[in-house]
Amino acid sequence: MNKFFTKRLSIISFIFIPIIFLWHPNWLGLLGVQPYWPLFWLLPWSMMNGSINGLIFGLFLGLILDSITLDNNFSQIPGLIFCGFLFGRIKLHSDILVGHFRYGLICSFGSFLCGTFYFLQILFRNFSDINFTIFMPIAKNILAQVFLTGFFAPLICSQLLRVFKFSRRKLH
Amino acid sequence: MLDIRRISSSRWWHKKKTWIFFGIFLFFFFVRISKGSLYKDFFYFISRPFWPGQFQKEVILQSIDQESFIKLNLLKKDNLRLREILSLKQLSNNNNISAAVISRKTGGWWRQIILNKGSKDGVEIGSTVTGPGGLLGRVSNTSYFTSSVTLLTSPESKLGVWVDRSQINGLLVGSGDDNPSLILYSKDADIKVGDFVSSSPASTLLPPNIPIGIVQSIDETLQSKKTAKISLLAKPHLIDWVQILKVNI
Repeated sequence: MNKFFTKRLSIISFIFIPIIFLWHPNWLGLLGVQPYWPLFWLLPWSMMNGSINGLIFGLFLGLILDSITLDNNFSQIPGLIFCGFLFGRIKLHSDILVGHFRYGLICSFGSFLCGTFYFLQILFRNFSDINFTIFMPIAKNILAQVFLTGFFAPLICSQLLRVFKFSRRKLH
Repeated sequence: MLDIRRISSSRWWHKKKTWIFFGIFLFFFFVRISKGSLYKDFFYFISRPFWPGQFQKEVILQSIDQESFIKLNLLKKDNLRLREILSLKQLSNNNNISAAVISRKTGGWWRQIILNKGSKDGVEIGSTVTGPGGLLGRVSNTSYFTSSVTLLTSPESKLGVWVDRSQINGLLVGSGDDNPSLILYSKDADIKVGDFVSSSPASTLLPPNIPIGIVQSIDETLQSKKTAKISLLAKPHLIDWVQILKVNI
């Protein structure tokens, strides 16, 4: 039973992403915006398992998160698929300290990409009546999200990566 | 022969009495000039124990509360009766469901709250959700135990509303920030900053006369319509308990 859990630690941790996404703790946020939680899981997963796996689980994550948000017109799938694919191309770094900071940079870049994809969907959807006022909250959203994601990524990603490595070592 | 000079002077300014009189006069003169403020201040301290106290204030406030309550009930009854006569849609009484907010996303991309009452408790899609202050949004999805509410601030939310002062209908559209915009499809619509916005009496989605918000700023740059920013009365990022209203159609 114990072995079963350690083998599937990565999949089990996957279940917690929607829960954290729903939990939405206010004290962690900035200007009411939260860090983009799915990226914290997606980055170690893709780094361990490669681009194709990252792409597939990006799709799964997108499907789940779209199902628990009410916006029917916009989807998070494109951003997450792209991030999953991109993260899979990254090699594991040997130097630990540089590694920590690298996670932050990669994750904030990823959240910037996701935010931009989301923003482009809004832009195309409302192409007829675009005025300047809709850009301000969107810019605020993207910037706050990029900052927060970059801030928390070194803490969470490195821990998750260690956990994933541990579970894989048991596997072989 | 030397004149004996009178030692004791009989000049008026040498008399103590005069100075006392003068002092008293000055005092009263000052009192007169200051319009008796000294007396009033003195009286303030003396009468302090006998003021109408906190207790009296409470009694009066309580009676005012009772008065408003009775008035409100009378008006409600009257309103209900008139609505029945006109056969308009009405809010059913005693059919509210209280629910707690278990997840909230009020900033960022998504603007929704999730409540702890679902289809098990009889929540239906399209029910109106109100909190302290007024309208919050509408239920747009239910599961067995939970229901998700699209907030008024969400870009997905579009509702017909009613500007109370000038009695015109408008469309309330969420814009992704904290203040949804009110769109009035007429260039010369009469709307001012500070106008009160409530749910429309003619709406088919909402019960009538639920307070929504107050006009914060008006944008008149567009050709065919006026848009206004609304500051909402119910603050979704603070509210923990809400009411789900069922609507009779």
